Amino acid sequence: MTAQAIENVLQALVAGLLVGAIYGLMCVGLALIFGVMRVINFAQGDFMMLGMYGAFYVFAALTAVLGVSGGLTPYAAILLTGPLLFIFGYAIHALLISRVSGAGAAKLDGDGHYAQLILTLGIALIIQNGALIAFGSQLISVRTSLSASAWTLPIGEEIMLFINQARGVAAIVSVAVMVALTLLIARSMLGKALRASADNPEAATYMGIDVARSHRLAFGMGVGITAVAGGLLATTLPFQPFVGLDYVIVMYAGVVLGGMGSIGGAFLGGMTIGLVQQLSTLILPTQLQNTAIFVVFLAIVFFRPQGFFGRVSERT
Amino acid sequence: MLTLDGVHAGYTAVPVLNGVSIKVEEGQFVAIVGPNGAGKTTIFRTISGTLKPRAGRIAFEGLDLADVPADRRPHLGIAHVPEGRQVFASLSVFENLELGAYTEAGRRDWKRNLDAILGWFPRLAERRSQLAGTLSGGEQQMLAIGRGLASSPRLLMLDEPSMGLAPTVADFIFERLLEIRKETKLTILLVEQRVAEALESADHGYVLEAGRVVLEGPNSALRANDRVRQAYLGM
Ligand SMILES: Nc1ncnc2c1ncn2[C@@H]1O[C@H](COP(=O)(O)OP(=O)(O)OP(=O)(O)O)[C@@H](O)[C@H]1O
Ligand SMILES: [Mg+2]
Repeated sequence: MTAQAIENVLQALVAGLLVGAIYGLMCVGLALIFGVMRVINFAQGDFMMLGMYGAFYVFAALTAVLGVSGGLTPYAAILLTGPLLFIFGYAIHALLISRVSGAGAAKLDGDGHYAQLILTLGIALIIQNGALIAFGSQLISVRTSLSASAWTLPIGEEIMLFINQARGVAAIVSVAVMVALTLLIARSMLGKALRASADNPEAATYMGIDVARSHRLAFGMGVGITAVAGGLLATTLPFQPFVGLDYVIVMYAGVVLGGMGSIGGAFLGGMTIGLVQQLSTLILPTQLQNTAIFVVFLAIVFFRPQGFFGRVSERT
Repeated sequence: MLTLDGVHAGYTAVPVLNGVSIKVEEGQFVAIVGPNGAGKTTIFRTISGTLKPRAGRIAFEGLDLADVPADRRPHLGIAHVPEGRQVFASLSVFENLELGAYTEAGRRDWKRNLDAILGWFPRLAERRSQLAGTLSGGEQQMLAIGRGLASSPRLLMLDEPSMGLAPTVADFIFERLLEIRKETKLTILLVEQRVAEALESADHGYVLEAGRVVLEGPNSALRANDRVRQAYLGM
């Protein structure tokens, strides 16, 4: 192999890892909702899209109010958007999702999964078209001065890797948010209460845990996390109100790939998809990137005949 | 401490409890016995609030529980160790105990309770980082009881702690319960299939059949009762 070919592969690998970190975070948000709390949510891509617009407008507001627009301001805006979308998700759950999930699903067919599908598709359509009316259809992005510069990483004599700084920082923020969330879920009493509520709602109630509130919190957190990932993606990708459609596939594939219940697994699942997407550009035309993701998705469905709802390792 | 007064309850169409009245005094050990399907677990669910009674009154320490949601009741001091143990299978033994201490009192007394629980059930200390779902049935029962105790309860409710356990393990659990009671003076409400043991250790017993209390009294009286001797003690 020539040095040029090796460089291309390494470059695609780096690109895959960087975008994969964002996809991973995106998947982690859905993992909380779908993997842990078992709610089918087809609006997750649209919550992500709201995170993108949220980051765009919060950034604009920060710039206008504080007069700062320096290198890291967009990231502050993105992180501020998380809590906003958390509140939005929490409210959507309290008003709508709770009717078809948890205790509200007891009398519905298929544990409420059918009702969830229909409800969240409806929410998705409303959000998409609402966004179209509110924000228009033109492509925009969260501009950061970092996207114009790159870190260079020489390997040996002949190979030089370029790491776009916007992508690099986005990946670092993704990993940091993911680590913070993992610690929260693993260590804090709140995290333990969420896991207990998902594991055995009746027993959780006997511990004095408000299980319905756990569900709302987990849903809100899932929405907030995916929204942050959306904001990060928006620094490198122009978007419009229908951008969520592509990514809902990425998220479900990542969560299923990651073994459902696991947050860390979902992150790796998303990372895998980023890698597949970027490496596919070595052999496929760029326009077919998303086709590669679909193929992975189909392969998962094909090789996991138990479908979406089985766990990789059943619990006792 | 706990009174049920004419409680009626059931699931969807079928009535299960038809006017059950039970009293548990502070410091007492009360046993409820009865055949399968009599409604013993259903009584526990109405006390914990996961099932709403259709009629009747449940009061805990003078407080009417009608408007107290299920998830607030543990904070009043009611610990429910449910039938079939229901440990959090995907969480570690230690995390299960920590969740037991979710109540305010449990958090306050955590250190002391933990030492006591691990003293009564040293097996849990050995397995503290193991996932609860991978424990044996007996170990899961110890964990379920430990989790209940971690809340610093005023009333400990145990639903068939011997269910599905080998006799020696069930004996061990029973011995520990008596020891725990002696040391802590905890009020206990027990549902048991092992009627002989239950009536032997309890102060007071209720016999439940088809959703009604058909007999009640101090343990000595129940054990001397012909009907109990024939139906439950095989004498
Ligand atoms: N979730 C439920 N839905 C419908 N019926 C139920 C439900 N749980 C219990 N039942 C019915 O209520 C009746 C009483 O059940 P319960 O579990 O209270 O009995 P039990 O006395 O605890 O029996 P066991 O000794 O077998 O545990 C039974 O006929 C049972 O079939
Ligand atoms: Mg029972």
